[in-house]
Amino acid sequence: MKRRVVITGLGAVTPIGIGVDKYWEGLVNGTCGISTISRYDVSSFATKIAAEVKNFNLGDYSETNAETSQLDRRIQYTMAAAEMAIENSGLALKGDHWIDTGVYLGAGEGTANLDEFADMACRSGNGDPTVDLPKFVLNTLDIYDGAAAFLKESNMPAAFIAMRYGAMGPVSNCLTACAASSQAIGEAYRVIQRGDADVMITGGAHAMTGPLDLIGFSQLSALSQNNQDPSTACRPFDAKRDGFVLGEGAGIIVAEELSHAIRRKARIYAEIIGYGQSNDAYRVTDMHPEARGAIRAITAALDEARVAPESINYINAHGTSTVENDKNETMAIKAAFGDYAYRLNISSTKSMTGHLIAAAGAAELIATTLALQSDVIPPTINYCNPDPNCDLDYVPNEARERRIRAAISNSFGFGGQNVSLVVARPEF
Amino acid sequence: MKRRVVVTGLGAITPLGNDLEKTWQGMLEGRSGVGPITAFPAENFKPGYAAEVKDFKPEQYVEKRKALKMMGRNIQLALAAAQMSVADSGVLESVDRTRMGVLLGTGMLNADIAELGKAVRASRDENGEFDMSRFGEAGSSNLFPLWLLRHIPNLVSSHIAILYGAQGPSNIITTTCTSGAQAIGEAARIIERGQAQVMLAGASDARIDILSMVKYRKLGIMTTDDRDPSTASRPFDSEANGFVCGEGAAVLVLEELDHAKARGAKVYAELVGIGLSTDAYDFIRQHPEGRGMQLSMKRAMKDAELNVDDIDYISPNGASIPDFDIAETRAVKAVFGERAKKVPMSAVRSMIGHTHAACGAIEAVVCVKAINESVVPPTVNLDRPAAECDLDYVPKTARQMPVNVALSNNFGFGGHSASLLFRGMEARV
Repeated sequence: MKRRVVITGLGAVTPIGIGVDKYWEGLVNGTCGISTISRYDVSSFATKIAAEVKNFNLGDYSETNAETSQLDRRIQYTMAAAEMAIENSGLALKGDHWIDTGVYLGAGEGTANLDEFADMACRSGNGDPTVDLPKFVLNTLDIYDGAAAFLKESNMPAAFIAMRYGAMGPVSNCLTACAASSQAIGEAYRVIQRGDADVMITGGAHAMTGPLDLIGFSQLSALSQNNQDPSTACRPFDAKRDGFVLGEGAGIIVAEELSHAIRRKARIYAEIIGYGQSNDAYRVTDMHPEARGAIRAITAALDEARVAPESINYINAHGTSTVENDKNETMAIKAAFGDYAYRLNISSTKSMTGHLIAAAGAAELIATTLALQSDVIPPTINYCNPDPNCDLDYVPNEARERRIRAAISNSFGFGGQNVSLVVARPEF
Repeated sequence: MKRRVVVTGLGAITPLGNDLEKTWQGMLEGRSGVGPITAFPAENFKPGYAAEVKDFKPEQYVEKRKALKMMGRNIQLALAAAQMSVADSGVLESVDRTRMGVLLGTGMLNADIAELGKAVRASRDENGEFDMSRFGEAGSSNLFPLWLLRHIPNLVSSHIAILYGAQGPSNIITTTCTSGAQAIGEAARIIERGQAQVMLAGASDARIDILSMVKYRKLGIMTTDDRDPSTASRPFDSEANGFVCGEGAAVLVLEELDHAKARGAKVYAELVGIGLSTDAYDFIRQHPEGRGMQLSMKRAMKDAELNVDDIDYISPNGASIPDFDIAETRAVKAVFGERAKKVPMSAVRSMIGHTHAACGAIEAVVCVKAINESVVPPTVNLDRPAAECDLDYVPKTARQMPVNVALSNNFGFGGHSASLLFRGMEARV
């Protein structure tokens, strides 16, 4: 008898709202969180926009101390989202149950401190444009904050959750680019299924909205340059889409073995019933032209879920707003669902939140779960111009009321990483 | 019936040699891979030594020169180890590529200082100060257009998946020093579930760069002793005062037992137990009693349905950080009781330094070799054991002895613990 895994707690820090209620309200109302970047001077950057988390103060959501207030944004978002998710789940914040509780995140690395690096590099000149490395060593010894740099490791958000609650079960972090937190949730589901834990705190966090992130993705021609009208820049599946928009935040869910949840009379949001994962094994940044990996991930997730394709009423798409992703994802959905693809409700909530990179999948599984709970499908905003390559129903611009029995969340990442998760309404 | 997971291929590139044979030979001879730093000009830096992979020629493993430019050193090392392991296994001829996956661990990649430094310096204002309002343009024009790709961790796995057309599950684990062990454990679970027949599992890391080295120095976890580099890494010794930074990669071919039998593969060992935990204590220090380590060892034994009497050899974390070495010794004593002193426990980090994310993979290979060759490598530089460190660390010289079951322990910054149990094939098939 397979152990069943349900979602019993949700917590989110997103560019359109902090806390699950505000996040959901933003999604249903089609609120866009994208604007001109506020944290540094973007005048010389090709792309000047991102979806930043606004008015965030960790102390509003979690206990803070001198140490936690110094942590980078990504860890702070994690701490807040985890606290919200655990409170939401009704699990006691302290106690013996934590000894067997694990953490599996798909968190990214902390944003590099460019000002500090620049300080070290600018002092390390030798009269020419290059950095004098022996001098750089001395300046690094003088200036570099080793502890802060150490905490930028991608495992630290998971480690801080473990420390905060005393979680001593399996603790891991995977960093599979834009699929990371979906994959983390999938793997946490496996850990519970196998019996290695009854409760897993899972999800992801990332804050890739810094200057180096902006330059790196711009150079790959991946970002929208619609700086004039930021709130319409991210337009998944629209014919005029021109790239994705960087975002930041955290999404944390409490995943729990079903009988464990029932015993403690927990509120059950949804059951995780399928997880499919594959690699394109094609190219580093391009998707396979026939979307072979994406198809395999969706199909594997559906096979495991043992539901008829017609039971899937909603797909929260990866939908990045790049020309290639949206076209290939459409192709993959058609291949996996056949004619039924045209009757599916598909939306990309990235149109509102931007792309949270490693955290995207978790934020989107939360959106998917809330859609299932409320029978409301959040829209794809900025959808105005049909693209013949994208001819499915993307729930344009207005949220839609629709009974949802089961839903899929897709995440695809650089390196050909594909993840699909299937969640269903709890049946009891 | 549970599917069994076996090791059918081994590949490693370490400070002791650019393949497994040289590495293993070096370990048995008790040689040190630590030497003067060549990765950056270190005349102003202490320590001036590290455990570097030497004379590595990545073009041996990557056909296209252009592709090499997109690969950070950890990706290049992983590609080398993977190709050696795959060649050793002979698995390519008979594997369905949609049922073959890649799951590695890796570490954080720092910026190329020369390149980013130039971009930053090109963005200075009239006073020589960094000016963000110039960086968007000057930064872009001074950085290699694909530089970001060198820093995306999962590309370590993806380049290997692309090389072999491996379309099965792939992942990258980033839990610092336990990454390699966790990657191997998770890959084994995938085979156990029937979601792949073959997984390339292991890890790579390369952190001998200015920012990492300064970071470790400032944190006080790396030795800065002025001494003969070959004696700097001294796990469990009273003069140990921090790790020596190393680099390297190891990849194992993990395979479902029936699949391996059907193709007549040579089978090195079975992965019989996996235990994970954290100590939930501190982001850098270990819990003094090694409570996380105790849990991971117990969980691995429970998973394998083995007990302490079954275990013949332990490859410890043995990082040469005093608090870690003592906590680890205490944890082994707590779990093994009276048997603790009877189980040889030798730390190859005394020879290859701390290879960070890669150590779990390299040490898994060490365990498999010990099982197959009936010899365990020594802990070199163990002159006078530290207080409380009174176990059998196989000091100085390798020891011939039968090893049926070997336990590989890894403990990482952030409190992670991972324990893997490997068993030889003769005893029970």
